[in-house]
Amino acid sequence: MKHTRLFGGLAAATVAAAALMPAAVAAQDGYTIGFSNPGGVGNGWREEMICSAKAEALASGEVTGMNIIHRNTDAAGQLEDIRSLISAGVDAIVVNPADYEALNPALQEAADAGIVVVAVDAPVSQPTAYNLSNNQEEYAYLGATWLFEQLGGKGNVVEMRGIPGHPADTDRHEGFQRALAEHPEIVVVKEVSTNWDPATGAQQITDILNAGTQVDGVWTSGIDSWIVDAFITAGAPLVPIVGADNSGFVTQLLTTEGLVGAAVTNPGSVGGAGVRLAIHLLDGMAAGYEPGPEGTILLDPQLWTNATEEGKAALAGAADPSLDPSWPLGLSIPDWTTYTKEQLLACKAPGEA
Amino acid sequence: MSAPAVAAPAARPGIGRTIARNQWVVGLYLLLAALLAFTFLIKPGYGPADIESLAISVLPIVFAAAAQAVIVIAGGIDLSIGSLMALTNVVAAALMAQSGEVGAVGVVLLVLILGTLLGAVNGILVVVSRVPDIVVTLAMSFVWAGAALLVLGSPGGSAAAWFMALADGTFLIEWLPRAFVTMVVVLAVIWIPLRRSRLGLSLYAVGSDRVAALRSGVPIGRTKIAAYAIGGLLAGIGGLSLSMSTGIGLPVPGPYTLGGVAAIVLGGVSLAGGRGGLMGPVAAAFILALIRLDLVFLGVTSDYSQVIQGVVLVLVVMIGGLVELRRRRA
Repeated sequence: MKHTRLFGGLAAATVAAAALMPAAVAAQDGYTIGFSNPGGVGNGWREEMICSAKAEALASGEVTGMNIIHRNTDAAGQLEDIRSLISAGVDAIVVNPADYEALNPALQEAADAGIVVVAVDAPVSQPTAYNLSNNQEEYAYLGATWLFEQLGGKGNVVEMRGIPGHPADTDRHEGFQRALAEHPEIVVVKEVSTNWDPATGAQQITDILNAGTQVDGVWTSGIDSWIVDAFITAGAPLVPIVGADNSGFVTQLLTTEGLVGAAVTNPGSVGGAGVRLAIHLLDGMAAGYEPGPEGTILLDPQLWTNATEEGKAALAGAADPSLDPSWPLGLSIPDWTTYTKEQLLACKAPGEA
Repeated sequence: MSAPAVAAPAARPGIGRTIARNQWVVGLYLLLAALLAFTFLIKPGYGPADIESLAISVLPIVFAAAAQAVIVIAGGIDLSIGSLMALTNVVAAALMAQSGEVGAVGVVLLVLILGTLLGAVNGILVVVSRVPDIVVTLAMSFVWAGAALLVLGSPGGSAAAWFMALADGTFLIEWLPRAFVTMVVVLAVIWIPLRRSRLGLSLYAVGSDRVAALRSGVPIGRTKIAAYAIGGLLAGIGGLSLSMSTGIGLPVPGPYTLGGVAAIVLGGVSLAGGRGGLMGPVAAAFILALIRLDLVFLGVTSDYSQVIQGVVLVLVVMIGGLVELRRRRA
């Protein structure tokens, strides 16, 4: 019976370890907040989201512990993760959902257990959950309007979209169309899908420039610095370019001779904003916010342009060479996040060593 | 493998061997019991609702492991299990969106047949082409995953209420999750008759020693195709279990191919074929899920949690190997 004895030994060791280990998530005075993210481990945007959630929990002073499940899985795996957080007895769960519908069974169980649920980045259909997302329609409208105004309301532009069919791409396209409708003399000479892939976007703009098409301005869905590089490589005169708050593009806006452009924020710190909303809800101080998809809170993006002194100051304030270049620079969200930049970069939750 | 005797455990007085094999399973269930005890210790409030969550969570991985186990026992391996689950999941969800509650019964039967057929296709390709199993099924994993996207371009569809209820709630007593009962019944209905049949014996024979099996008159090709077909059936049930838990169809394959392999390795199924059963992999799926859960309770960062799961897997399998080695020398 060697096997059995061995396993018995293992079991005894496990129990002994349990006795030695202090329960990390014991009942304490403050709140315990769970966070479930089902993908993009290692992706700068997602990592910033997690760190902002930790930093906001720390800065609030009301949270004593966090339970973060951050792994690449599918909707069924995220159901397991949410149920694990329910079993762990957290007070609130912030979730970046893998799907609009599929998480509802577990989210209903959370509601039944009296747990506050906030979905960030993308909404869920569950009527008891609160939703908080970046306003992608406004993201495109803001940038496109700036571009069209910059061109004096007249000229040829290129629209460089993301992944066709992706909800954020659909929303952004709508915002772009809204701005276009307000500027009838703007002509979209080319609409391409970059799939948010730098190499694809760079090839597309190079082809357009080589074809001799007159281009007066470029709107991008975030593949930005590579477009600037392509212009420079092709020896073409720079035109106004709109991008996202990616570190590389922001640096170009501050340093590249002759480049006029604007960066629109798409902050990963929406994770921190979600934690803030959860704390408000736990405190009973979130009057005016409604659960369910209709009540989705949309965070408005900011636009930083190097065409104005004010914008330049914002760009210079945001730029930080010490940051991971893959992180978006919208590190905080006005009215929602309260942490300091140091707390965000430290990326430590309350009680985390 | 130097153990052709496994092919005919009933014909030879290999009782010691049978016990040795079951010892691993017994050990796994002891480990599972210890982990449960540990869970209650660190989370005194751990109760029936939590057990229910655990049972629903492990369903897809248990069926993925069962599917893989049958194929591996017969000396194959199927890297398209995850994709097969995605395909059967979206077919079930797309059809149930139109079938209504009663029609859903037909959908379930249809999906079971579909899973079996797709598995058989894998098996036929392996046997006929003579290309290694791992290559054929890797290629087929892309085919099935692409087909799933053709059925549903994005998550959608639905599931019948009675069907979702199969995994929801408890059975008779509050400590017995219905998901667990469903799982045991489904596996028993498939596995027990199979294990006792001539085909079941052939699966072990082919997996343990092809030449010996051939000489004993076992039809190698047909047996392998049957193994893949049964694996396909179980993968189809795995796809249905995804419908059961999410209520919709998800066209992108989840982490079930490798998750299933991990569970069968821990569950005592030899990757070389011919050894193991379903009791071990089932326990292993629960053990892996409980470890994940305990690490959440202990507040361990997810990154470490992945590492710890892997280390536990390697350690347990290594200890098992060492014990086996000592036993053989003795």
